[in-house]
Amino acid sequence: MSTADGGRFGRLQNLDEGTRRVGAGSAVTIVATVAAFLLFPAATIYPLLGFLAVVAYGWWRYQEATAKVVMALMTASTVVILGLITLYLLWQSVPVLRQMGIGLLTHVGATMWSPNDGVFSLVPMMWGTFLTTIIAMCVAGPLGIAGALFTSEMAPRWAREIIKPAIEVLAGIPSIVYGFLGFVIVNDYMMRELSLPIYGSLFGAGVVIGLMALPTIVSVAEDALAAVPDEMKDGSVALGATSWQTITAVTLPSAFSGVSAAIILGVGRALGETMAVTVMLAHTQTLPDPLYDVFGPNGQETLTSLIASQYGIASGDHMSALFAAGVVLFITVLTLSIGSQLVEARMREKLGGGA
Amino acid sequence: MSDSSTTETAEDEQPTTTTTTAGETVEEVQDEWIEYDFDGPAKFSATDLNVWYGDDHALHDITIDIPENSVTALIGPSGCGKSTFLRCLNRMNDRIKAARVEGSVELDGEEIYQEGVDLVELRKRVGQVFQSPNPFPKSIRDNIAYGPRKHGDINTGLLARLLGGDDREREEELVERCLRGAALWEEVSDRLDDNALGLSGGQQQRLCIARALAVDPEVILMDEPASALDPIATSKIEDLVEDLAEEYTVVIVTHNMQQAARISDQTAVFLTGGHLVEYGDTDQIFENPQSQRVEDYITGKFG
Amino acid sequence: MNTDASRNDLVKRGNSTLGVAAVLLAAGALLGALLGALALFEAFAVTDAVAGLSIARWFGVLLAGLGVALLGVGATSRAGLVRSEPDRTAGPVAGVAFSLVGLVIGGLLASQTLGFGTLWPIGALIVGAVALLLTVYPRGDLGATLPSGLLSLFTGIVVATGVIAPGWSWSPIPGSFTLPGDIAVPLLAIVVGFLVAWMAARAYGGFGTQGKQASAYLLVSASAAGMLALLVVLVSYIVVRGWAPMTEGVKWGLFWANWTYFYVPPIHRYVVIDGPVLWFHWPFVMNGHALLNDVNGIMPAIVGTVWLVLGAIVFAVPLGVGAAVFLTEYAGQSRFTQLVEVSTNGLWSTPSIVYGLFGWAFLVPRLGNGFSILSGQLVLGFMLLPLVIITSREALTSVPNAYRDASAALGVGKWETIKSVVLPAAMPGVTTGIILGIGRIAGETAPILLVAAGSPFPSDAPNVLTSFQLSATPPFVTNDALLQATSALPYQLYAVITAGVNKNAGLAWGTALVLLLVVLSFYAIGIASRIYFRKRLEA
Repeated sequence: MSTADGGRFGRLQNLDEGTRRVGAGSAVTIVATVAAFLLFPAATIYPLLGFLAVVAYGWWRYQEATAKVVMALMTASTVVILGLITLYLLWQSVPVLRQMGIGLLTHVGATMWSPNDGVFSLVPMMWGTFLTTIIAMCVAGPLGIAGALFTSEMAPRWAREIIKPAIEVLAGIPSIVYGFLGFVIVNDYMMRELSLPIYGSLFGAGVVIGLMALPTIVSVAEDALAAVPDEMKDGSVALGATSWQTITAVTLPSAFSGVSAAIILGVGRALGETMAVTVMLAHTQTLPDPLYDVFGPNGQETLTSLIASQYGIASGDHMSALFAAGVVLFITVLTLSIGSQLVEARMREKLGGGA
Repeated sequence: MSDSSTTETAEDEQPTTTTTTAGETVEEVQDEWIEYDFDGPAKFSATDLNVWYGDDHALHDITIDIPENSVTALIGPSGCGKSTFLRCLNRMNDRIKAARVEGSVELDGEEIYQEGVDLVELRKRVGQVFQSPNPFPKSIRDNIAYGPRKHGDINTGLLARLLGGDDREREEELVERCLRGAALWEEVSDRLDDNALGLSGGQQQRLCIARALAVDPEVILMDEPASALDPIATSKIEDLVEDLAEEYTVVIVTHNMQQAARISDQTAVFLTGGHLVEYGDTDQIFENPQSQRVEDYITGKFG
Repeated sequence: MNTDASRNDLVKRGNSTLGVAAVLLAAGALLGALLGALALFEAFAVTDAVAGLSIARWFGVLLAGLGVALLGVGATSRAGLVRSEPDRTAGPVAGVAFSLVGLVIGGLLASQTLGFGTLWPIGALIVGAVALLLTVYPRGDLGATLPSGLLSLFTGIVVATGVIAPGWSWSPIPGSFTLPGDIAVPLLAIVVGFLVAWMAARAYGGFGTQGKQASAYLLVSASAAGMLALLVVLVSYIVVRGWAPMTEGVKWGLFWANWTYFYVPPIHRYVVIDGPVLWFHWPFVMNGHALLNDVNGIMPAIVGTVWLVLGAIVFAVPLGVGAAVFLTEYAGQSRFTQLVEVSTNGLWSTPSIVYGLFGWAFLVPRLGNGFSILSGQLVLGFMLLPLVIITSREALTSVPNAYRDASAALGVGKWETIKSVVLPAAMPGVTTGIILGIGRIAGETAPILLVAAGSPFPSDAPNVLTSFQLSATPPFVTNDALLQATSALPYQLYAVITAGVNKNAGLAWGTALVLLLVVLSFYAIGIASRIYFRKRLEA
């Protein structure tokens, strides 16, 4: 944060007096507040009152400077929150890491998850998450891109004006509602028709997650397609290309980064989806046999459903293992997020050449 | 004869004209000099062409014959419908959902607004270059080969190679021929695989012309192709247009009258409201216009 | 250069024979797929007999007929009996699709029918390669019709002769699932029907580029239509099932009751003013859970959701808008802004259960050491924060710079300009973003589960409003209700499911409908206002 950065005296001297005073005062008090909340929660109120006093005084004396400082602190809050999340997840998962070592992520054996025996291996849950995500994206990827293409390139104007907001509204359906429908309809149907040995399956859960991620993918991919300039499409059509040729050769490649961002977003949603899988799966912390069996009774647990179904009965190393599952999830999703930002930045650089 | 009527049609543009009589509609003004005799066949002939964008009547009863292998300039103030007319000639107006076209346009005597017209075939024969350069975000080579590849005239890629129909050499020839045709070969021959968006604006526009040539069209429509370019790039484009007229029929929209005078063989003047007012030899239009309004426009009294 | 002889005709006289045949074929194939879908969803049983033949066998007859017809269309086009403009090849996309189909069929035949055992990949590869060759090697018209026609004919024969019939079943993995015939037949009808329709559309466009366009449009439109239909069916299903339980026992009416009365000293009497009063009782949303209730309701959950969302707004909206203003108006491109951007996007994509874990470890021990509304509010606030920042930034950057310049040119300072010009102009966008964000967090279950969830079937709602107490000792303001656990709409639905849907089916569907109505109305309002403001900006 530049205003409170002690190392840059040159820049600090450039600031006006109000910014310097209010900045120093509020920075000290807000850091004290956070520290107090971390260490002595009951005493948080004192530095907080101090902070409010500084801000009130600053507002009265130097309004602009105070506003700027407060808003800079607000901006920093995102970094602080993300940092705290990372810190706490890691910290809480240290005990199980000490007990299991790297086996937490690699141990494969007859017993892979048994809190009573102190065996915690996340392998089955990571595999379950992987399988459900693959199935979900098989449903949501092609259908999502088809939906986006239809909405942005093929549908008549009036239809687009209905479909686009409708899709966005559908993206808001809470995941527990999908879980409920999956539990009542999909699980029931598969049990009845496919004679499953157990109520629930990775396949059913994956399909439901895919349907859930679908509107988000359609909506984001559609935005990317609609952002391709009409002049570019006109250029292709004027050369005698059909509209489908224009879509595949000009529109889709130009919107590639946006469309792939939509897919990555969908993968992130599918990975982190909790309630639908918690409700629909049978919670067996084993590996499926054979590994690709997405209908069988084994392996019906994902990282998210593990946390949601066991937090209530967990303590000690067990709870720590749940945090480790959270860490795996968090790091995967964060990597995806940063990766998609890099892809987008790269594409922007490439396309921004002369146009 | 046309003094009073001149002021009426020009009222949108020239609110200061004092003799405006409210209530007279534009339709009542019929001082048009559009009879133009030329040797040889007409490439395009439009008859009573009308275009509406929603409720907006953008073109009024345009009747015009455009000769083959020459440069025809369409000039007029902005909003006069010259670009709209241009887009009628390869039916790009079909892509604007609110547009409605009535009347007839014949290409080599064949009506292009009848049922069953193959738009792909039409646009292969009538190419277009747009106002601002719009190369695809692909390599220079891919930009040129785009049209022929899409029409199946050139097959490259894995499948084509396996089936024994790889046209790489022909593609190389075509790329060189079109780039030479657009006077761009010297500048880019060593970087054909670079992204076209890395070229300068003028180079991009010539690339777009080369891209249009690759489809082997008969007509090239140009919609103010130099309006976004600097003077040097503009003069290159102008030279190119004159060369192109030896093989192609060129119809060019411009609001730059010097440009029209320099490069075109005949000129059509559109004035406000989508009316074609005068059409004839470029020399005659610029030196001795029949219509008072055209004279006013050319001498810069308005527009 | 231009020789007219090399030109194709400008005007295509519709080759009506091919077109009509192709339309009929595509319609037949899509009908087969649609009937297959209906059979799959148990609209009718495939074992029923129609005209002496079971529906399953009729599926086979239809597929075989489609196959023969498609082969015929391809052959007449190849023989030049109808006019078409086939490409050199049917193309790589069709090639990949049919070789995949070939791989599956070959593998199944080798392992299940011919008993190759572990050598089944050989069979798969052979059939797959043949299908690939048949698709890409011949001219476009044969390449499109030959593999699809043969596939349809083959499947049709297998189904029509009863090799795969309702009594048939297949369990590839012991102890896993069993695929019965009455599922397999409709599935085959759907898959083959779509493939045939795809290639019939090619025939409609003359097997050339137009054909590829027609077939692609058909597939894309069909997928999009199917997707939309499915989503609409899901929502309407909840509405249909949830409406009765949600509205059970709703009573209302007009009553004549006294509005007010007052004492008038000179006449020493009470003056009573009567008037009509609307009385309204909606038990499902006004009752809690109790033994003696006529209808058990979800009022505590609704109130809980309202408090959670309100708290999250109070926490996140000022923070988010402030950060967005700083980022767009004050901060330049620096390391710090980049870090903030990455953090914001990271927070946005962080799964909700991770927020729950964080709240469990960070907030719960510090705020009353138990599940509490306050922890829930803060966790939901953390989730709302990135949404508010992202949408507010978008709204702020879309305010034209001309506004800022105009204000600055009048000698107004930057902060004044932001307050009086920029923020008001961005307000619609900011509000819309906040509404959409609220819709999202109102439906979140996982974090609430870990930091705020209380009794699954509460009888009373938390009484936050009247629980504020001032005291002389720190922390000066206390509110016991805020530190209690609560229910919330999504948590309520989860609780019903875990308690057993069969016992509480009405409660479950009703809750789902109320949750859906609450969340979707936020979304609908947000999106409608965005469209309204955009239109007004454009006009």
